[in-house]
Amino acid sequence: MAEEFNTESMLDMFLYESGQLLEKLEGIILEKQDADCFDDADINEIFRVMHTIKGSSGVLMYENITKVTHKLEDVFYYLRESHPDNVPHMELVEKVLAVSDFVTGELDKLKNGDTPDGDEKQLVEDLDEFLGRLKGEIKNQGIQMPQANKHVEPTQFYITPVAGDDSHFYRISIHYRSDTQMSNLRAYSATYALKEVAEDLLYTPDDILSNEASADVIVAEGFHMLLQTKSSKEEVIALIDSSEAEEINFDELSKEEYGRALSEFGREEAEPVVVAPAAAKDDGNKEAKKEGPKPGDYVVKTKEAGKGKTLAKNQPKQQSIISVNVEKMDALMDLIGELVIAEAVVLQNPDLKVPGLELSNFQKASGQLSKITTELQEVIMSMRMMPLTNTFQKMRRIVFDVSRKLGKDIELEVIGENTEVDKNIIEHITDPLMHLVRNSVDHGIEENAEDRTSIGKPAKGKITLEAKNEGGKVYISVKDDGKGLNKEKLYQKALEKGLIENKPINEFTDKEIFRFITLPGFSTKEEVTEYSGRGVGMDVVVKNIQSISGRLDISSVEFEGSEMTLVIPLTLAIINGIVVQVGNSPFVIETASIKEFVRVGEDSLISEPSGEEYIVLRGECYPFIRLNERYDLPDSVDKIEEGIIVVLEHEGSQVCVLIDKLLQEQEIVVKPIPPYVRKVKGLSGCTQLGDGSIALILDIAGLLMHDGERR
Amino acid sequence: MKILLAEDDFASRKFMDKQLSRYGECDVMVDGEEAVDAFMMALEDGEPYDLACLDVMMPVMDGYQVLKAIRDIEAQKGIPKSKRVKVIMTTALNDERNVKMAFELGCEAYAGKPIDVEKFEKVLKKLGLI
Repeated sequence: MAEEFNTESMLDMFLYESGQLLEKLEGIILEKQDADCFDDADINEIFRVMHTIKGSSGVLMYENITKVTHKLEDVFYYLRESHPDNVPHMELVEKVLAVSDFVTGELDKLKNGDTPDGDEKQLVEDLDEFLGRLKGEIKNQGIQMPQANKHVEPTQFYITPVAGDDSHFYRISIHYRSDTQMSNLRAYSATYALKEVAEDLLYTPDDILSNEASADVIVAEGFHMLLQTKSSKEEVIALIDSSEAEEINFDELSKEEYGRALSEFGREEAEPVVVAPAAAKDDGNKEAKKEGPKPGDYVVKTKEAGKGKTLAKNQPKQQSIISVNVEKMDALMDLIGELVIAEAVVLQNPDLKVPGLELSNFQKASGQLSKITTELQEVIMSMRMMPLTNTFQKMRRIVFDVSRKLGKDIELEVIGENTEVDKNIIEHITDPLMHLVRNSVDHGIEENAEDRTSIGKPAKGKITLEAKNEGGKVYISVKDDGKGLNKEKLYQKALEKGLIENKPINEFTDKEIFRFITLPGFSTKEEVTEYSGRGVGMDVVVKNIQSISGRLDISSVEFEGSEMTLVIPLTLAIINGIVVQVGNSPFVIETASIKEFVRVGEDSLISEPSGEEYIVLRGECYPFIRLNERYDLPDSVDKIEEGIIVVLEHEGSQVCVLIDKLLQEQEIVVKPIPPYVRKVKGLSGCTQLGDGSIALILDIAGLLMHDGERR
Repeated sequence: MKILLAEDDFASRKFMDKQLSRYGECDVMVDGEEAVDAFMMALEDGEPYDLACLDVMMPVMDGYQVLKAIRDIEAQKGIPKSKRVKVIMTTALNDERNVKMAFELGCEAYAGKPIDVEKFEKVLKKLGLI
């Protein structure tokens, strides 16, 4: 990893490495929080992490970080050397986390360009006290005291540049009157005055002193300067002699604009390479890394009078990672979607259906095209995918912190943390997930261990965090084995707060009652705790999730526990679908939700007097929907023997639909139904088929729900 | 204390000269070769420099080359590590690999520009120069 980042500045590198180490550290700690003690490998690892951070913070002279990590390193040094028994494990865990928090806080300050000025005294004292006890314990146990941990003071230092954030960037253009004499000298006096305050100054034409002809250029085209300075606009203007000047244009630039302007000014322009005499001899004997810098790379071409600096050897920078604006990625994704449609339009073009055409070469070429477009989709998808590991790591910490504060004994099980999801989704689910986890710890798990043991549950509470990727959706669930939701209580509460209409409890389904907790202003806990229970939150969670077109499923059994599941579509704008026909209209069904296609006879059909129909397949009874009736499609098959029954499944419930015929299977680019069309239940989007016609995409969940409501 | 300053940019040179003159006598050079010459001369006169502040981007020889030359000369003359001149690189090139390379070449400190004067002084103290 380090290799990829080695064009970063020293400070960035320190922040990056330390951040990584701290993350690793927290991982170890939280994994072992419930063990009796750390094993040798952990102690070594923690020692090493502290040692590294101590070392590099020493070089960069962040003394408070150095002191704190130094102390903790000492603690782990004694643990490593003496292996004392009876180490208060929980206290040790807390100490390590305190240090980790402190350092993280300081790193954050550095990231924001602030000075890391956190006060380390208290923490160092605490650690000292702990270390003192530890040493006493070592003596008591009669283990030989190891030699004091030798600290090597850093001998080399890196002085971080003062944060340049308060610098201003200006582009200044001076246009002199056309009759101005010796405008080049006037321009020089302007640059001379600015040099007093300039951190960086570049001007064009750049040979104002040595080339008298530049005076004409300045009069004709104006004199342009790029200035980086801490001074304000007013101060800078005051410095420039404005007599004879006809017009002075003064633009403040952002740092990025300044960078671009620099290259426009030709700073990056390659000069002919001038190898300085001394450069050659050095090149050979330095076993420099491949693209690494070498002494001699930075020889400046001897200044020609008035010219700016240029490097004798201009080396292009190697960059192995670039960050890309997400909007650009989205645009690319859209374009690839369009490409897939266009591909279908070409490959299934009606012109190709003329009988007698010799198409074997065309088929070969189109096969190649399809392969490439598929790969293209995979690449763009993989570019956006990230594992949930980091997000889940945060949850571990939350469970640890909150359960300690509340005095509950809780174990967290994490399943599927390597599940990869779209980066966009990660950003949106972190906060909601945090809230759900907190809720589980705070409200889910019982207050007292006795409450658990009395009903035969283990004293230790358990929270399971699980992520899985199924059928184009990500499921992230937070499950606890706590007291569960009390339907009666929820109902009463919602009624009291006037959040629901006044109807008896048995007219609500379980799911509806559970969903009360997501209503704004709902909180069943009488006491508001530090962590949750303010009644804001669950509604925000739901809103956040809906914004990425996901949903929250709640299930709960009283006294056994609750499970909150976030179901989020993998932003799959492209799905694999089967195109079917009903009447004259093509429909698309997502391949993953199709269980089977069958032909059945009239005798399998059961019609209720209410008009509902069911199909009996192998003794099982499924609800039956005629798409042609539902969407009023004329000219379609009416007898079920002539059509095809498609059995669809969505989250365990099945439904059968009747279609006329199957057309093909293909990659489908999902486009939303345009807003001017009223929202139609049971349809999730539309797409364009190869022949240019529009197909509607069936939404199985919508069909099932609609079906349920109708009954 | 005897100080060698190599810096080709006028504004930086003036600034550094002003800063360093507080701690001792400061000789100012404008390119890398001159800096090595000055170092050599002082060594031969038996009045070696205590501190050298080297810019990196300079004409003729860059700061890394000067650093390497200085350390090579010292090694050749058998000057013990403790007696070596303390070298501080002063440059806006703050890439991690540049800094690492300078450390490997044997400088004592690497100061990113714009220079943090307070920290600079702290380093001088740590190096036992003031």
